[in-house]
Amino acid sequence: MNMGELVRIVEEGAVVYNNPIVIEGLPDVGLVGTIAASYAVEKMGYKEIGYIESDLFPPVMVIHKGKLKSPFRIYGDENVVIVLSEVAIPPNAVYPLTEALADWFKAISAKLVISITGLPAKDRMDIEKPEVFAVGNNEDAMKKLKDKQVDLLEEGFIAGTYAIMQRECSKKDLSAISLLAQCYPVYPDPGAAASAIESLEKFLELGIDVAELNERAEEIKLKARDLMRQTALSAPEMQKDVEQDMPIMYQ
Amino acid sequence: MEIERGITKAMWGYDGNLEPLYDVEDKGAEIHVTFDLPRVRKEDVEISTTEDTIEVIAKMSNTVCWERWGGIQKRITFQAFKKQIRFPVHIDPEKATASFKNGILRINLPKMRREVLVGID
Repeated sequence: MNMGELVRIVEEGAVVYNNPIVIEGLPDVGLVGTIAASYAVEKMGYKEIGYIESDLFPPVMVIHKGKLKSPFRIYGDENVVIVLSEVAIPPNAVYPLTEALADWFKAISAKLVISITGLPAKDRMDIEKPEVFAVGNNEDAMKKLKDKQVDLLEEGFIAGTYAIMQRECSKKDLSAISLLAQCYPVYPDPGAAASAIESLEKFLELGIDVAELNERAEEIKLKARDLMRQTALSAPEMQKDVEQDMPIMYQ
Repeated sequence: MEIERGITKAMWGYDGNLEPLYDVEDKGAEIHVTFDLPRVRKEDVEISTTEDTIEVIAKMSNTVCWERWGGIQKRITFQAFKKQIRFPVHIDPEKATASFKNGILRINLPKMRREVLVGID
């Protein structure tokens, strides 16, 4: 069975893509990706260009300004595509979702796929400015990270949607990187999202200013509570705990 | 622990209080609890403990009002965070310590226990 068929990417409108950079900001620790992706959409005024549907997703729709929408949406233009979700990703949907997304990224000739997520930090409370680390899936991605002087995660496990996204992109010969900002594991972390956007800017060069994100941090935290709660519930099944483990072949 | 229940039920009520996100960690000799309290100042946090519970009431610096949201409630306002957690073990309330930084409240609660060294024959 082709698992990718379980998830359908539905495009709305006719965007003529110009080797876009794709940003994936799906819910994970600290909701770093979700906060960063939705802030970028808002600041750049990106239009909704599609959505994702699947029988594996919860039977939930969202209403914004009286309009019914899928909680799994795609925004962007010909140069930048942003994938985000307003509900937690069910663990059993991770494989078909990432496979379908990677297929679609390949079809639109994406030049780079960037997943934004968090790196749980035990002492986050004492960290004023979260640092950002990166993982790349091939030589091209690693070179890009080196050129932009982003610190690399050298050893360890990565778990969750972004980890499988990296693998699926490798299978489709797409360059993919993950940007991981130090974050609170179970609290929404706009500060970590701000650090992630600053790192993302090295690749996008869109001039996204994070000042407003920092100013609105408390309001964002309040709005993100319910999604954080859902995401924390699925964390054990996503094997998030393994990210703290030592791999046996550690060097 | 109440953690499971804490994250599966709705986190707001009609009494003007919002349930904060919180995390409980059993550290052996101590229980560490943190609360995420956006829009709260240190002086507006009230913590009370008994031998097996902790209650946090934290007044927000300005009222949160959600309008045009949901089907039944339509409009709801919150003035404070409130949460009580019951522990399965006894704690020593006198020795509890707390700190508040960047909207995160951290409370360390030593467990009440009598330690006896066991000799080997």
